[in-house]
Amino acid sequence: MMHFGTPSRFRQMVGRAAGGAARQTATRGARWTVVRPEVLLRRKWAYKVASAALPLLEARGAKAYQVAAIRCVLSDFADAYLGRKPCIFTSAFVPTELVYGLGGVPFLPEAAAGLAAAFGLAARSLSACEALWYSPDLCSFHRAGLGGAASGLLPRPSAVIVTSHLCDGGKRSLFHISRLAGCPFYMLDVPYVPSDRATRWLASQIEHVAGDLARRVPGLSLEGLAQALRRSNEALAEYERVSALRRNVPAPWLGSEALNYVLLFLWSWGSPSLAPFYRALRLHLERMIAAGDFPVRDERHRLLWLNLRPYYDTRVFKHLEGDRASSVAFEEYSFAYWPSLDPCDPFASLAEKMMSNFGWGPIERRLEVIERLVDDYSIDGVVQFAQWGCRQSNGGAAIIARELRKKGIPFLNLDGDGVDARCGTEAQAITRLGAFIELLDARRGG
Amino acid sequence: MLVAGIDVGSTTTKAVLLNDGKLAGTHAMPTGVDLAAAADECLRMVCRAAGVDPDRLAALVATGYGRDRVTDAARTVTEITCHARGARALVPSARVVVDVGGQDSKVIRLDDDGMVADFVMNDKCAAGTGRFLEVMAARLNVPLEEFGIRWRKAKEAARISSTCTVFAESEVISLLSHGVCPEPIIRGLCDAVADRLSGMVHRVGLGGGLVMTGGVSRNEGVKRSLEEKLFVPVTVPEAAQFAGAYGAALIAFELIGGQVQN
Repeated sequence: MMHFGTPSRFRQMVGRAAGGAARQTATRGARWTVVRPEVLLRRKWAYKVASAALPLLEARGAKAYQVAAIRCVLSDFADAYLGRKPCIFTSAFVPTELVYGLGGVPFLPEAAAGLAAAFGLAARSLSACEALWYSPDLCSFHRAGLGGAASGLLPRPSAVIVTSHLCDGGKRSLFHISRLAGCPFYMLDVPYVPSDRATRWLASQIEHVAGDLARRVPGLSLEGLAQALRRSNEALAEYERVSALRRNVPAPWLGSEALNYVLLFLWSWGSPSLAPFYRALRLHLERMIAAGDFPVRDERHRLLWLNLRPYYDTRVFKHLEGDRASSVAFEEYSFAYWPSLDPCDPFASLAEKMMSNFGWGPIERRLEVIERLVDDYSIDGVVQFAQWGCRQSNGGAAIIARELRKKGIPFLNLDGDGVDARCGTEAQAITRLGAFIELLDARRGG
Repeated sequence: MLVAGIDVGSTTTKAVLLNDGKLAGTHAMPTGVDLAAAADECLRMVCRAAGVDPDRLAALVATGYGRDRVTDAARTVTEITCHARGARALVPSARVVVDVGGQDSKVIRLDDDGMVADFVMNDKCAAGTGRFLEVMAARLNVPLEEFGIRWRKAKEAARISSTCTVFAESEVISLLSHGVCPEPIIRGLCDAVADRLSGMVHRVGLGGGLVMTGGVSRNEGVKRSLEEKLFVPVTVPEAAQFAGAYGAALIAFELIGGQVQN
């Protein structure tokens, strides 16, 4: 992965090449050239250099699936930032097959906020959002997304599509982004209660949005829609094998890493790069299981993780997976909840996918999935990452906790923030997780 | 066999010494800025008072936010587990433990065997912690030790609406500037802390004996406010401040094969 945070000869070289885009800073007497990320992301050569560096990464120990994931991100970022394809901003639960199918490239500001946090770039975006009068009490994924757009860190969208389900902040912040960019804004209104009529109504909205986009945005057409759905199905088939392999005890994959790839899971359905990524991941997990080589040594407990994770640098997972020898065996947001799509009936199929989202509708739907995951993945305890400002996930925490406890499954509500490190305390998070693991130890008589 | 537990808290470091599972000594001192030095010193003092050589300790267990700084510890255990163990040993009827320390507060539900069944901690800010009361005591120029007496003198509680330490402090300043006496303000502050704690108690479930531990348990005002909110008696054992270190010492005793009665 590219790092913008530490001085290096590579960055010096990059800085000189970027010319006017670079600024000089002095570090310990030496002069380093730092390239502003929003400039670097818009340079064609940066993607060439990054692509050329991939074999080097592999040679230095990166796994094939990790390289495939970077390739996937690089391809979409190049399309979006270099303007090779119309860039369509979407909220997290818009079916991205629609965008790939139209010939565009999706861009999810919420997921990009997670990436920005991982690269240490979120603070500036958060400040930019607060300068627009947004309260720090709002979800930081939306704040950083909007701030990133306002400060020029994100590419320029040709259109914005949001859905009404789950995150209210998403559609409002993305509406603001569409005003900043002066581009069309579409909202798919997802009915709260599933029914055939509701699905048909949603399908008609998707069809209208697709048709309108194809007419209004140069470079978009409906021709590739069926193919995008076929690619999505191909990736889903691989992904279901990955999910099945993760049922293995001990866990063959670190949950902390799996939570990073949730961003890709939200972003890339319909992309040609997704199936190769999941294929490479499946092969990796098969090898790990066959070799008995598991990332958490002497796994003591298996956790189900609800909601996202802190994407900035934190010791929380090192403590959990290392010191406490406990795995995040699976994540709520890694659950593929939709059936295979029908390329012959794309709009109805995408509507059905959206209506299948277990986070929408009565809390019983979410609870049913959580209980199923608890059984399928031999879960000892459930951790809800209580993202600061997240209403859709935190709202049901009390009911979920109560129902799980009835079944003898301990539940931890872990306060924190996925993007804004100011909204959480690492030491407290570690203490809470540690106490939770001690509780699980005691239940086992340890 | 001698074992010890040490609780390196944000404000105070506490040590408890056990001899064959029986309490042999306690010591508390300010933590200061050097956590490792505070732990060493506290351990040395408790051993000196009991007339034993620290090198004779068969096991040492550390807890508290500075637990990882105790290099000689055979094991580190979180405050939640240690306070649960300590409180249960001090008050065998305990089912809910309210521990209010310097920088956080926790409410722990115990099962019939005295093990942690559930717990919650204060979220996101210092409201409902010892630090909150320390800041207010400094602003009121009233020693924390006097909060209990002043609470009893108050005929009513001043309304402190903010749970944020900084904003609550500005409310206190505003009340003082309007001529309100310290007593109702102190009662209002204790009520504000008790409000937060009672919500946490209800989250884990009220029922059975309720025990208060941690440094703030010495503050009678908070105890009485909590009793008024919950309509149940709150037990504060004599060694409440040492509950975490005592729990750690009991775990140390078990580490060397000792049997602890719950």
